[in-house]
Amino acid sequence: MSPTPAMRMEKSDFRLTIPSQTRYLNLVTGLAKRASQLAGMDDSTAAKVSIAVDEAVTNIIMHAYGGEEDHSVELDLHFTSTALEIHMWHTGVGLRGNQIVLPDPKEYVKHPRKGGLGLLLMSRFMDEVRFSEDKGRSECCMIKNIA
Amino acid sequence: MTDLSIQVRDAGCASVVEPSGFINAHTVRQFEGALENLVQAGRYTILLNCRELNYISSAGLGAIMGLIETVRENKGDILLCNLQENVFAIFDTLGFTQLYRVFPSEEEALASLLEQA
Repeated sequence: MSPTPAMRMEKSDFRLTIPSQTRYLNLVTGLAKRASQLAGMDDSTAAKVSIAVDEAVTNIIMHAYGGEEDHSVELDLHFTSTALEIHMWHTGVGLRGNQIVLPDPKEYVKHPRKGGLGLLLMSRFMDEVRFSEDKGRSECCMIKNIA
Repeated sequence: MTDLSIQVRDAGCASVVEPSGFINAHTVRQFEGALENLVQAGRYTILLNCRELNYISSAGLGAIMGLIETVRENKGDILLCNLQENVFAIFDTLGFTQLYRVFPSEEEALASLLEQA
């Protein structure tokens, strides 16, 4: 059986699986920040990556799993010579790229409302954000290039 | 270390809320509760002193957004001061720096409120 992307592991990868509980957000964002620094990013950029990861994992816990705490979120950090790739896998309800509508910050300021900002932060703070599905598992992949 | 602790104090013209740590989906109810308690007590001018705030996610921004209309309808406001660089980047990226008055220090924010009174 050929490995799925989530099963493939290279020497430069780091993998963490957490229960679908918000109590672990701080652990995950701390890891993302340190990984970004390890990849060569400055503190400011690393902080932005950690926020993007917070938003992505929160989306998975609260929306993909509907707040149910007995599932898992798998994070796979892949270091390359030019970027840090963060892959997040889950088995909940996945987002498709064509379902994503980012709020326009200018319109948001004119007509403030609660919610809808997480995806915007992810897209602004990362160089690439994409969503996909493979064999019943959904993935959010975020890439930050190393300047 | 706890993820979030919140101090609330009365500065006369405003209630100062000083969150310390992280405001995310796990801690947002605590933050939201602190703000709601003030509004329920008729304290509609709230200064968020963010000097010990390490980060705030969209969940926390939603909590602020959820109360802004209520406080402004009651002639109050939510002001921000002492934002760390990454916290400012979050507010600025989302255009919140156009929605809220941001001050470098608590003293300057309170002085502005006194001038306005």
